[in-house]
Amino acid sequence: MKKLLTAIFAMASTTCALAQETTTSPLEISGSVDTYFKYDFAKKGNNITTSFASDHNSVSLGMIDIALKKKTGKASFVGELSFGPRGQSQSIPDAAAGGSSFHIQNLYVNYDFTDQFSMTAGYMGTFIGYEVISPVGNFNYSTSYLFTNGPFQNAGIKATYKFSDKVSLMAGVFNDWNAYSATRGVSAVGGQLMVAPVEGWTAYLNVLSGAGAGGYGTIEDLTTSYQITKEFKLGLNAANYDIDNDGGGYAGAALYPQYAVTDAITLGLRGEYFKYKNVGPVQGVKYTAVTFTANIKSGGLTFIPEVRLDHSGDKPFFKESGAAAPNAGQFSLAAVYAF
Amino acid sequence: MKYIIIILLLAFSIDLSAQQKQFSKDDNGKFIYYMVVDSQSFSKDTLLQRARSFVNVAYKKSMAQESVTDSSVLAKGTMVIDKTILVAGHPSGEVSYNFVFEARNGKYRFWLTDLLFIPYQRDRYGNFVATTKVGVPLERTPGKLSAGAWKDIVNSAYNKIEKFGEDFKKYLATNRVEKAKKKAETISTKQW
Repeated sequence: MKKLLTAIFAMASTTCALAQETTTSPLEISGSVDTYFKYDFAKKGNNITTSFASDHNSVSLGMIDIALKKKTGKASFVGELSFGPRGQSQSIPDAAAGGSSFHIQNLYVNYDFTDQFSMTAGYMGTFIGYEVISPVGNFNYSTSYLFTNGPFQNAGIKATYKFSDKVSLMAGVFNDWNAYSATRGVSAVGGQLMVAPVEGWTAYLNVLSGAGAGGYGTIEDLTTSYQITKEFKLGLNAANYDIDNDGGGYAGAALYPQYAVTDAITLGLRGEYFKYKNVGPVQGVKYTAVTFTANIKSGGLTFIPEVRLDHSGDKPFFKESGAAAPNAGQFSLAAVYAF
Repeated sequence: MKYIIIILLLAFSIDLSAQQKQFSKDDNGKFIYYMVVDSQSFSKDTLLQRARSFVNVAYKKSMAQESVTDSSVLAKGTMVIDKTILVAGHPSGEVSYNFVFEARNGKYRFWLTDLLFIPYQRDRYGNFVATTKVGVPLERTPGKLSAGAWKDIVNSAYNKIEKFGEDFKKYLATNRVEKAKKKAETISTKQW
């Protein structure tokens, strides 16, 4: 691994010396602010245990997110920090550290060796999955089981080659999931094949193998979306995660149909099936979940009313009395401002 | 205090004059940026050659030539619209356009039309990318909820296209060969 990294850096620095700088962009500043109200029908705070929006009957905070980007010639950086529950105690690295003062969303440098070939090193949003931490990047405000159980971020170094606008390939080496520095060394390899077969349709085939949640394992992931008409968009995420030595994992799929009623209002649905894999004699829990969401936009502000209904025959949810229940439901109203 | 009032009035008047700039509409009701330029110093062939060079060399990353005749150039292109305040901001989308250039001896005209806006959204890596491939005509009437944001987009698009027009006029008025020769000249400090 050390030899591989040395070779990559040596190749990178040689090409860097030969390259010419061409353009400089202004400093990009962007970000978001989000807040929400959630009402769980069983009056329990964290009845549905997917990520974020965990408070019941409370006007609560998401996070403020601030991103900087600068490109000088062929080199660029992105630095993105978030503050607030969604970006602090509810994000995996900071939850593990007792909820520190902020969370790094992205912190990486990139170099475009040519128009086709680029390399990136640092801490980046994961390439696995459909949903992301930032509420601006998601249609639904609550998150899927696939998102919650997959990686959030990966630190590593990756190379991307763009064959054309329709095909590109990424390969890289990474630390274990969601860690600013490796706890088990640079111990994972990953790749992504992007194909855009027809206009409006993009598909990502992803693989990540190595140190992850629960041990060493491999995720295969398909993330795709197709803007079929001006109004109708269909998204799909399917993933399978196997942890070595029968250590469990998960499998699932989520479908995301969305229909724009007007320029400002889009209605959407998320239907998900998710199952934890068996660990020895312990049976994994299965979930089905349906989420109805509207996005109402006015300038940078988006209101997101949402109703979510989850079911599991294994009764992982709670009734108001505290008894185990097969169903859970919640209503939420979020306001997200992007700048 | 007097100076502050003057500065505020000046800023307000600049803002008002900026708001007055807007696209004209063509015969089909579409937005158009149309310019006729007197250019007595250059022949039709020179103007045509420079217009082709502008499309295929100066703006090759954002323009693609569609067709050429002995007096015209047709091209398609895109330009990024950004929310830049002084030195900071970020791209908010791109506008695609059809570009037409026609030359005669002593004058030429060009116009940009079929303006379509494609919004950008920040992706998981912090980069702004197109959210859809389907563009929205810039002359459409927006709903009440998005009217303010749409007005900003149209104003930004106008400013970008106006700058594009200025760049084009300068390019056509410049002899690139002479300019390149001047650049190659070296200055010796050995003699006064």
